[in-house]
Amino acid sequence: MPELAISTRGLRKTYRTRLGRKVVAVQGLDLDVPVGGVHGFLGPNGSGKTTSIRMLLGLIRADAGTMTVFDRPVPAQLPEVVGRVGAIVESPKFFPAFSGRKNLELLAEAIGVPRKQVGEVLEQTSLGERGKDRYKAYSLGMKQRLAIAATLLKQPDLLIFDEPTNGLDPAGIREIRETMRGLGDQGRTVLVSSHILAEVEQVADTVSIIGHGRLLASGTVAQVIGGSTAATVKVAVDNHEAAIRILTAAGMTVRADGNYLLVDGAEHPADVTRRLAHQELYVSELAPVRADLESVFLELTAGEGLK
Amino acid sequence: MIRLTGVELRRLTARRLTVIGVLAVLGITAFLLFAIWQDARPLSADEQRVAQTQYEQVHKDWVEHGDENKQMCEADWRNMPDPKPALEEMCAFREPTIDDFGKPRTVFAEVMPELLLGSSYLLVFAAFLIGASFFGAEFSTGSIGNWLTFEPRRLRVYGSKVLAAAIGLAPVGVVVLAISLLGTYLIVDQLGDTATTTGKVWGDLTAIGGRAVLLTALGAALGSVAGSLLRHTAAAIGVVMAYLVLIEGVFASFLNKAQPWLVKTNFDAFVRHDTTYYLNQCSSSPDGGYMCNSIEKTLTFEHGAWYLGILAVVVIAIGAAVFQRRDIT
Ligand SMILES: Nc1ncnc2c1ncn2[C@@H]1O[C@H](COP(=O)(O)OP(=O)(O)OP(=O)(O)O)[C@@H](O)[C@H]1O
Ligand SMILES: [Mg+2]
Repeated sequence: MPELAISTRGLRKTYRTRLGRKVVAVQGLDLDVPVGGVHGFLGPNGSGKTTSIRMLLGLIRADAGTMTVFDRPVPAQLPEVVGRVGAIVESPKFFPAFSGRKNLELLAEAIGVPRKQVGEVLEQTSLGERGKDRYKAYSLGMKQRLAIAATLLKQPDLLIFDEPTNGLDPAGIREIRETMRGLGDQGRTVLVSSHILAEVEQVADTVSIIGHGRLLASGTVAQVIGGSTAATVKVAVDNHEAAIRILTAAGMTVRADGNYLLVDGAEHPADVTRRLAHQELYVSELAPVRADLESVFLELTAGEGLK
Repeated sequence: MIRLTGVELRRLTARRLTVIGVLAVLGITAFLLFAIWQDARPLSADEQRVAQTQYEQVHKDWVEHGDENKQMCEADWRNMPDPKPALEEMCAFREPTIDDFGKPRTVFAEVMPELLLGSSYLLVFAAFLIGASFFGAEFSTGSIGNWLTFEPRRLRVYGSKVLAAAIGLAPVGVVVLAISLLGTYLIVDQLGDTATTTGKVWGDLTAIGGRAVLLTALGAALGSVAGSLLRHTAAAIGVVMAYLVLIEGVFASFLNKAQPWLVKTNFDAFVRHDTTYYLNQCSSSPDGGYMCNSIEKTLTFEHGAWYLGILAVVVIAIGAAVFQRRDIT
């Protein structure tokens, strides 16, 4: 059993625009996605998420770098693993004049999946009866569900969703989130790209943050949040001046916040207690201030957005 | 690949444009049969009276002035510089007959080869259009990207689509040509002349039909390649129309000698088994005059077959190479 569902090293892609200008979309991306659970793939607009996903799926050629999916080098061995990978890249794209069901039947037949499974995945995504309608006439949410139904035809071990909640209403967003969580809990790997962080934070086990086609941070959600300077400790202590002096001397940044002190830059919250206790200052309350993914993301990607 | 081709065939037949295109071809074929019927129908009593009057006038004129005209013509002929046409050819004033003013009887063995050629133009054009839309629409809707996440082996995907277009449209060719062949036979059998339809004539007609079906399949395949290369149905049709009008039409009318290398001439040579075209051969005579002769040339079936075969292989190979490498975004 491989450890990594996806791994890329030094992945690069440069687009050439119509006018011959070059756009570096991905520059040396090292991405690791562990097997099992939901992995958030985060980055500002234009940071290269979709481009990376397209390269993994063999839709566009990488200029340089290596990629593996379940330890198989891709795109060379993509045909061998593609049956285990379901993907929705950007918006769902099907034949507009065919019904949802017909679209799925064609796909099922192409990969040799029995037809009755089409009915099952339509039920699973609660499209059921609407499967008979033309794809063209679907609402955005139904299109998205049909796309998920299509990926489920393969019973994949890895699902790649590129901004799956784009344009959905809150109920739709929650539904997709629950679907992803459910898939992750079944032991499948879900890679979900997004820039809606609150949403990813609720569902992801691990995340990677990229900017300008490079990896900025990666790990469990807790690691990424904790590993950033955004990890702040809130301290209650009697003698503010003395505490500020001691902690600043230890290389931390301290701000007063009412009756509390906010301490940044401590390696570990216990450090704060230890140093103050040394000088006979006793902490009556100490709590890490929970940073959220959003603040970490904004900090990491400051200035990395669209230029 | 076989399974994929099967899926693509199912998709081809489920497309609305395929159905509309085939119905349109059938409609036009029905109209052609109607035109043949019109043409083969004997003259009405009124038309016959008109023909009779015209004949009588012309005949009277021939009786009165025939000899006179002939002598004038012969005098002219003697004064013409060499080279000149034979005297009998130039000055034959034969007695007009009533048949010259009626309608010639339609002879099946004579009209059918041309009709089949005409139907083959129609079929190949329709097949090209249906093929171009079949593959081109996948790019314009973006569904090709989704498809490739199910089957990433590009050459198989490409091959299955091109093959499905060819296989799917060949039966359309068979049906349409059979309808126009049998329909025309029945009409001409009633109103015209089918007596000269020997076994050999039937053999030739079947061979022409067979080659037309082959070209229909090829047209569909090349249409789908064009759709894939240009990623748009309209673009594919536009490029081909522009080529036909500009190169085969305008350019070729200036450059007479290019005829053996035009798609149209080779197409005709292949379908009819040899075709003829005319070259203008001009020369200045010693006395400063400038003379042009139209000389008839034959383009052989083999030439047409090689030309179309190589064209098909090259276009399909280019399409494959481009599709194999292309970024799908
Ligand atoms: N087909 C293309 N031709 C030229 N440049 C492109 C093309 N596709 C993407 N790019 C450029 O590559 C960069 C990365 O784009 P990409 O779509 O991968 O970003 P993204 O992270 O998916 O962004 P978003 O969050 O907006 O979806 C952008 O600068 C974009 O303009
Ligand atoms: Mg994107």
